[in-house]
Amino acid sequence: MSQSLRPYLQAVRSSLTAALCLSNFASQTAERHNVPEVEARTSPEVLLTPLTIARNENERVLIEPSINSIRISIKIKQADEIEHILVHKFTRFLTQRAESFFILRRKPIKGYDISFLITNFHTEEMLKHKLVDFIIQFMEEVDKEISEMKLFLNARARFVAESFLTPFD
Amino acid sequence: MSIIREHTQTTLSDAWRTIDIDALDPDSAPNFDTSTLHPPQPEITEAEVRQLTTQVRQLLRGGDAEGALRGCLDMPVYNGSDGVKEMAMGLVVEVLQSIKASEMVPVLRGVGEGVGGGERVDVLMKYLYKGMAAASSSSGASSAPRTPTRVTPQQTGFSQMGPRPGASAESTGAAMSVLLSWHEKAVEVAGLGCIGRVMTDWRKV
Amino acid sequence: MAAPEVHHLFHNPIADHSFSADHSTLAIARDTTVELYGRAGSAFKLQDELKGHDKTVTSIDIAPNSGRIVSCSQDRNALVWEPTPQGYKPTLVLLRINRAATFVRWSPSETKFAVGSGDRLIAVCYFEPENDWWVSKHLKKPIRSTVTTLAWHPNSVLLAAGSTDAHARVFSSFIKGVDPRPDPTAWGERLPFNTVCGEYMNNSAGWVHSVAFSPSGDALAFAAHDSSITVVYPSAPDQPPRAVVSVNTQLLPFMSLIWNGEAEIIAAGYDCEAFRFRGSVDGWELSSAVAAKGREGHGDQREESALNMFKQMDLKGKVKDDTQLKTVHQNTVTMIRPYEHSNGVVRKFSSSGVDGRIVIWTV
Repeated sequence: MSQSLRPYLQAVRSSLTAALCLSNFASQTAERHNVPEVEARTSPEVLLTPLTIARNENERVLIEPSINSIRISIKIKQADEIEHILVHKFTRFLTQRAESFFILRRKPIKGYDISFLITNFHTEEMLKHKLVDFIIQFMEEVDKEISEMKLFLNARARFVAESFLTPFD
Repeated sequence: MSIIREHTQTTLSDAWRTIDIDALDPDSAPNFDTSTLHPPQPEITEAEVRQLTTQVRQLLRGGDAEGALRGCLDMPVYNGSDGVKEMAMGLVVEVLQSIKASEMVPVLRGVGEGVGGGERVDVLMKYLYKGMAAASSSSGASSAPRTPTRVTPQQTGFSQMGPRPGASAESTGAAMSVLLSWHEKAVEVAGLGCIGRVMTDWRKV
Repeated sequence: MAAPEVHHLFHNPIADHSFSADHSTLAIARDTTVELYGRAGSAFKLQDELKGHDKTVTSIDIAPNSGRIVSCSQDRNALVWEPTPQGYKPTLVLLRINRAATFVRWSPSETKFAVGSGDRLIAVCYFEPENDWWVSKHLKKPIRSTVTTLAWHPNSVLLAAGSTDAHARVFSSFIKGVDPRPDPTAWGERLPFNTVCGEYMNNSAGWVHSVAFSPSGDALAFAAHDSSITVVYPSAPDQPPRAVVSVNTQLLPFMSLIWNGEAEIIAAGYDCEAFRFRGSVDGWELSSAVAAKGREGHGDQREESALNMFKQMDLKGKVKDDTQLKTVHQNTVTMIRPYEHSNGVVRKFSSSGVDGRIVIWTV
């Protein structure tokens, strides 16, 4: 792990741990409903101040906490157009399978590449520190994954160019 | 047939169906008055921040980083115009950047001691999160054309010519890494409760 | 210090628990049912299920003398379960609320109980013999958000409430014909229904998760989501309080707190373990955790064999198994209650957690 990545992930980890203090909370606006308040946004007092953790202007995490749910949005590093396409394809692949990931949100919020929604029902079923680990691991792996895919793509492009587009001598 | 058409026409024209009546009721949950969640705060003017800036810079020149930081954090701008808040934010970042990495923990411990010590670290945490949010939102504006999901070929295409978009990130990256390492040290000194208070507190810097 | 008595009942959250006065019955709010457990040797065995709610049961309380159980749920109802020879007989309470009921507690006199709700009010319920049902009166002003917690003053008239609008309040719930006229206290002298005797908030304004009166009733403590506990000492009716002491901790927020005598508070919450606070009107501080960490007593720290290590690496991709927390509770502690106490001094207390455990601790 690179030197500057560590404090970034550490900050995300501690912020997430502090934000994941959720309780079962029934809606104040709709009778007999129990909805994630961070999505419903109907009661301002049960929403907390959103926290942004940024490593640089291209990599940041937004944590929006509320009484019974938190939303985590990640902006993945995209240094050039190829990475931009790869990130888009990759996150699309994941979000299309959102139900298998439990905490993945089907649509990222504006300005971010991928969003997670964790509710109190998730923290009741799953271990909280493991949920945090999952997010952190995802952030670690995704950068690696994208750059690997980019290398692979470039290598393949070069190979294609060499073998098929060889000029006549 | 005619009845159905009439019916749909009246409902379509009846815009009242889409009115959010909760918004009109002052007692409804969405109209919760969040100003009741904090005691009234004294307004801080530009002149006061200027005065603080000169004091803090003097302390910095004298080598008293701890005193300088303490000075900034004792007067958080909870109630003031955006310009004043920016000035205070800039001052805090200036002080933070002037402190060496090895001195962070002792300075933080010093700041966290005495009357209202815990409060000062909480305020520092608020500034750290604000600093990170500000840097990323300002960049959000500049890189906005890049964020749409469709890649526009007019921009740069696939050529690697010209400045890489990541190049400008280097300068903000350096500023961020200062904030991030302060964040890490602040959690070390003041625990997770400190982050919790940044979230719950409605007095915002 | 004796080792805590751990009962792992199931893998669902326990929203609230309550022991009967003789500790033979344990009532638990599990999902939409109330489960009654009886002591069988050193363990608890499921004896009865009280089904009557159709949404999550949020709170439950057994009256120590009459043995009546009151439960409330997010389906907006509260039920009083009367013990009869044929089993428990439910009676619906006329709460007249149209949001979730969040919290219920019997008054020490057992003639009333209070139900907190998401309808931004507290229903104070009492029995009307002529109609043979439980009716309620509403405490409404100045609550502006969901009531999350309640606590009774020993005189059964004053009621403390905490809510998500970050305020802890003390109300009078005096009901003519039910309550005898209370003696004047530091909170107030004349106490008609819905008198607000105090309204408190701390600076960083978290939702209030728990409130409690000290054994004498002359101090009020509350725990909020900003990881703090605040103790209020009133001076005289309509006067500003003598002292308001706030302790901001470095820990995660506390969900529940109890007094142990006048100089100690035990609180537990998102850190999955209980902590002690000590102090007086001059100031409070976090003193220690109730139980020492580390699970030596549980025989978990056995020698790691090479085989074991490779097994772990094969199964989980890593050497160390860190799926278990070092604390006894493996998830948030939702409620702590005194288990054995006399004159306000707690000798044992019980805690319930989201992990489905009930633990009895020796102080």
